[in-house]
Amino acid sequence: MRKTRILLLTFVSIFFLAARADEFRFPLKSGSVRFAAIGDMGTGDTAQYEVAQRMVAARQNFPFEFVIMLGDNIYGGSTPRDFEKKFEVPYKPLLDAGVKFYASLGNHDNPNERFYKLFNMNEATYYTFKKGNVRFYVLDSNYMDAKQLEWLQKQLQEAGEGDWKICYFHHPLYSSGKTHGSSIELRSLIEPLFIKYGVDAVFSGHDHVYERVKPEKGIYYFVEGSSGQLRAGDLAKSSITDDGFDSDRTFMMIEITGDELYFQTLSRAGNQVDSGVLRRPVRTPAPTK
Amino acid sequence: MQMKRRLRHASQAILLATVLLLARAPIARGQNASPPSPKEEAKNSAEFKEFLYRVQAYVTLHKKVASSLPALKPTALPEMINAHQQALARKIREARPQAKRGDIFSEKSRAAFRRAVRDEFRGPQGRLARKTIQQGEPLKEVHVRVNGTYPDGVPFTTVPPTLLLRFPKLPDEVAYRIVDRDLILLDVEANLVIDSIHEIFPPAI
Repeated sequence: MRKTRILLLTFVSIFFLAARADEFRFPLKSGSVRFAAIGDMGTGDTAQYEVAQRMVAARQNFPFEFVIMLGDNIYGGSTPRDFEKKFEVPYKPLLDAGVKFYASLGNHDNPNERFYKLFNMNEATYYTFKKGNVRFYVLDSNYMDAKQLEWLQKQLQEAGEGDWKICYFHHPLYSSGKTHGSSIELRSLIEPLFIKYGVDAVFSGHDHVYERVKPEKGIYYFVEGSSGQLRAGDLAKSSITDDGFDSDRTFMMIEITGDELYFQTLSRAGNQVDSGVLRRPVRTPAPTK
Repeated sequence: MQMKRRLRHASQAILLATVLLLARAPIARGQNASPPSPKEEAKNSAEFKEFLYRVQAYVTLHKKVASSLPALKPTALPEMINAHQQALARKIREARPQAKRGDIFSEKSRAAFRRAVRDEFRGPQGRLARKTIQQGEPLKEVHVRVNGTYPDGVPFTTVPPTLLLRFPKLPDEVAYRIVDRDLILLDVEANLVIDSIHEIFPPAI
């Protein structure tokens, strides 16, 4: 009798553990916005290619439509060979499948990448685009001048309250990366705008780790800077860290439907590093001027 | 009819006032940035005037040269981007073969830039500005010269945003860059160094 109980408990435990490891599922709702996020990827080395292959495989189950690039898209030069080796070849299956890439500039990027059609920047180092109920603001955090700040303020102001507002750029406002950490000076300039005009989520790279930051002033922050580069052991988990990973390369997949953002972060080996559902914060409307 | 015109004038005035207010919005300066005093600002703007005049003259030249080349539109061929960048740089170089340090950063403006940098690094934002540079790939042992191209593959040091707010706004064709302790004026599309101020930044950043 006792043996039977132990056996039963073991089976139940195995069942629940297996179910837990596999419990995250994207809702794949009709009309939802589905995308992937990669950062600091343009190395051209084997690791970048392996992450790209994992993205292709993951797309079989989660058909994301576009990819946001968090900067450092092409390291070490901007010759045609660099574009080929560090972008066109690794992501060819995705490009061939019609997946669009929207790039932001990192400190390793030649600003003339804005003329590269496959980065969809339309000749601008900062720009905005909309998918479904999500408005994306792509910033050039390596050169945040008064003109860009005024542009951002105007764009956020004009967007109104209905859509999700997602900003992405290279330098993280919050990061527990040992090498770089939080970009506090940049934060002092743009965070007030994010708060005032109701930005919901922010994605950045620069630190070569993955980190999900605890919501800061009602805004969700992610650092995804390990889709090609990696600084193993560089994440000093701190009071701002909700979850993080620094022992292999990663990429993110996101689905937004209604007021919910589903996300899953996978490692190069295909293991789930992080996942969850975030609800869009409820805010009081921003003043009109 | 007259009423309508008055209303239109009033709405135009409100719009103009809003734009002016936005341009001076404290939020764009950041929570912790310390703007220069009005007296200092007036002095700087007088000294920056000549610099901006020279920048404008350069941009006119840039546009003239660029108009002699096929316009660069978004392309899937990186070789087209490279060819355009190189051709533009070559033609600008040909148009100003004697270009040298100080041609655009006039003497007076150099003093104003140095003052702006000094105030930034000694002010309350100084520690953060220094950290921005440290986090943004500070360059050592990289040498650039006026009329030379910015070396391919070398990262761009992040320019502290609060420092940029102290500098005069530039047209889209040109940008401030930092190389080691020098401030560089870069033609972005041609990837060409068009002027620099030597050792304007404090040591050990």
